[in-house]
Amino acid sequence: MNKLFSTYEVGSLPKLNARVKASRGQAVTDTDILEVKNVAQKYAVEADEIIDIVQRQRREQRKLTSEEEATLTDFNALLYLRLQETIGLDLVYDGEARRAEMYRHVARKVDGFEDLPEMIRSRGPDSWRMSVCVAPPELKKDCLDNLIITEFDFAKQHAAKPIKIPIDDPYMIAVMSDNRYYLESLRHRYTNDPRQLRYQAKRAFTIALAQNVIRPQVEAVVARGAKWIQLDIPAATLDIEHIPIMVEGVNAVVEGIGASKFSLHLCYPRRVSLAEKKGYELLFPALLDLHPNINHLSLELANADQYENDLAVFAKYKNQRSFEIGVGVIDITQEQQQAGKIETPEIVKTRILRASQTLGDPALVYVAPDCGLRQLQLDRCLRIYETMLEGTELARKG
Amino acid sequence: MQFGAYLTGAFGQSQQLYQARNEAKRGRSSEEAVLKRVADDTAKIIQLQQEADLDNIIDPMFDVFYLFQPFAEQIEKVNVGPQENWFNNNVFYWRPQIEGSLNLPAGFTERFIHLSELTKSGKAMVILPSPYTLLMLSDVRGYHNQKEAVTNLAEVIYAEAALLVSRGITRIQYDEPVIVIKQSLNSLTGEDLELLRRGIEVCGKVEGATTSLHTYFGDAGPIIPFLNSLPVNCIGIDGTETSLKDILKHDYSGKELTLGLLDARSTSLEDPVEIAEQLQMVAERTNPRKLYLTPNAGTEYRGFTHGINKLNLLKQIRSILHE
Repeated sequence: MNKLFSTYEVGSLPKLNARVKASRGQAVTDTDILEVKNVAQKYAVEADEIIDIVQRQRREQRKLTSEEEATLTDFNALLYLRLQETIGLDLVYDGEARRAEMYRHVARKVDGFEDLPEMIRSRGPDSWRMSVCVAPPELKKDCLDNLIITEFDFAKQHAAKPIKIPIDDPYMIAVMSDNRYYLESLRHRYTNDPRQLRYQAKRAFTIALAQNVIRPQVEAVVARGAKWIQLDIPAATLDIEHIPIMVEGVNAVVEGIGASKFSLHLCYPRRVSLAEKKGYELLFPALLDLHPNINHLSLELANADQYENDLAVFAKYKNQRSFEIGVGVIDITQEQQQAGKIETPEIVKTRILRASQTLGDPALVYVAPDCGLRQLQLDRCLRIYETMLEGTELARKG
Repeated sequence: MQFGAYLTGAFGQSQQLYQARNEAKRGRSSEEAVLKRVADDTAKIIQLQQEADLDNIIDPMFDVFYLFQPFAEQIEKVNVGPQENWFNNNVFYWRPQIEGSLNLPAGFTERFIHLSELTKSGKAMVILPSPYTLLMLSDVRGYHNQKEAVTNLAEVIYAEAALLVSRGITRIQYDEPVIVIKQSLNSLTGEDLELLRRGIEVCGKVEGATTSLHTYFGDAGPIIPFLNSLPVNCIGIDGTETSLKDILKHDYSGKELTLGLLDARSTSLEDPVEIAEQLQMVAERTNPRKLYLTPNAGTEYRGFTHGINKLNLLKQIRSILHE
C-alpha cells in the first residue's frame, strides 16, 4: 500500500435494524425499511428483494426462512462493502455482517467449550455469554465454512478494493473464557505456586486455541488468497503479567504463513495499570518478540487523545522494531454517541499529523476509527467514515 | 480452633435477572419487574447463606455494578468518570472523580443494600472500599497531598460504616485489591504502605463491629507482616494468588484470618478434603483467633450457578472441619 495515510475500518458495523428484527420475528417498522431503502440507494445496491422479504415478514408476522435469512445476510454484507468503497476507505470488509458478536462467533464453534448457564456482567448491566473450556479446544467438524470461508469468499468476490479480514486472536478468547480444563490438568505440577499455575494454564490454553481454532481459519483464508489478516486482541494489556502469552499466541498463529500481511488490533489499553508503565508501554519489550510477519498495529488512541504519550513508546523502539500504526482518530464510545459529539475533519487531520510527527515517519501511519462500530447507529457510522476521510484528505495536503 | 466461612463479594446474576434487565432496556418490561427480580434473588441468596450456616451474611449486591458505584453516584462533589478495566477482568468500573474535601454524608450505600432483609440474620456484613484502593483508582483534586486525601476518604467511609453498624450490621469488610496487585507488579512503595495504613487508622476500628481488610487478585506473601500490623480485627488473603508456604510463615495471634482459597474466577471446584487439610495446617501453625474460608473475591465473574456451587463447597468444607 503506497498511498499516504491509507484508511480502513477496524471491523464491525451495526447490523441493519430491519434485518435484526425480521430475523427475530419482531415487527419491522417503516423507519427500518426506509433506512434500508436510503442506504441501499445511496450506495447503489439493489434492495427490492430485501424490501419484499421484510414487508412480507411483517405482514405475515413470522420468522424468516433460512433462505430469506441468507438473502438478507448477503445483502447486508454487500451493502457494507459498497458503502466502505464508495465513501473511500482504502481497505474494506463486510462489517462482520455474518458474525453475531466477535467472541460468540468463534466460541460456539469450538469442541471442548461449554456455555455457562448465565450471562456474565461486564459493563454495568451489559453482559456476555462465557464459555468454559472443559477439554482441549478443537474446531467443530465442518464449521470453517460458517466461521470464515463463506464470508471471505463473498467479500473477495464482490470487493473492488483490497480487503483486510478481522479474525479473533487466541489470547482474547482465552481471556474471555473460563479455563477449567488447563487449570485442572496442571494443578498437580504447581501445588504451591498458584500464580505460576494460572500463568501456565493460560499459556497452554492460548497455544491450543492458536493451533487448533485460529490458525485453521487463517490457513483457510490464506489458501483462498487473503492478503491482509488482522488479529483482534482487545485484551492485550488486560493482564499485565501475562502479555508474553499474548505474543506467543499470535506467533503460533502466524508462524510459517508468509503469503499474507498480518496486523493486530489493540484497544482498551490499561491506563490505570498500577504498574510502573501504563497504556501501550505495557506491551514492550514483549512486542519485540512478535513474529516478523506482523508489521502493523491498529490502536485505540482517540478516546484518550494523548497521541504523543501513547505513541512515544513505538517511536522509542523504532530502531529495534518498526511497526506501521493504524492510528485511531475517531472516538467510537457510546458516551460520545449519547452526547451527540463527533470529531471534525480538522481534529482528524491534527491527530494524524500528531501521530506522524511522534512516530517520525508519515509512511508508518494508517488511519482508522478507534475500534469496530458495531454498537453505534448506522447513520453515525457513515458520518464517522465521512469525517475520517475528509480529515485524512486534509492531512495529506499537510 | 474455630473455623468459619462466608462470601466476600458480589454474587453472579441469575439468567432471569439478566433477562429482566434486557427486557426493560428494550422497553418490553418495566423497571418494577427488574426490582422484583433483584429482591427475589437477594432473598434467595441470603436464605442460602443462612441455610449453609455461614458466619457472616452479605447482600449479594445485584444492584451494584462496581465497588465504587454507591460512593461515586451518591456523594456530593464526586462524579462518575471514565470507564476502566477492573484489574485483569473483562469487567469494568467507572473511575470516581473526586473534588475534595468531601463532607461526611453517611447513608450512601442505603439504596444499594437490602438492609432490613440482611440484618434479620444478626450476623450481617457489608463490603466497602478500602480508602487506599478508592484513592488509587480515583481522580482526586482539591487536597494538599495524598495523605490528606486518603484521610478524608477514610472519614467518609468510617461514617458510613458507623451508620451501618448502628442499623444492625455486625461486620465491615474493606476491599483492598490495589495493595497486593502493586506488590505483585513490583510497583509497591513505602508511600503506598503509609497511605494504606493512614486510611485504616481512621476507619479500621468501628465500635460494635468486627472489621476486616480483604485483599484479593494479588500476592500478599511479602507484605503479610505489614497487613498483620494494621488496626483491623481480621485480614483477608487471596489464597489463589498467595502461596500457602508464605501464609504459613507468619503468626496471626490476636487477629482473625480469612483465606480466599476457593477461586471465585474459576468454575473448577476445589477438592474439599485438600482445602480442609490446608486450613487445618494453617490453624495449627499460625494461631489466628479465628480462621475463615472464603472465595478469594465475589463470585460475580462466573454467574449465579457457579456462585451456588462455591457456596455449597464452603458448606461442605466447613462440615469436614467440624467433624
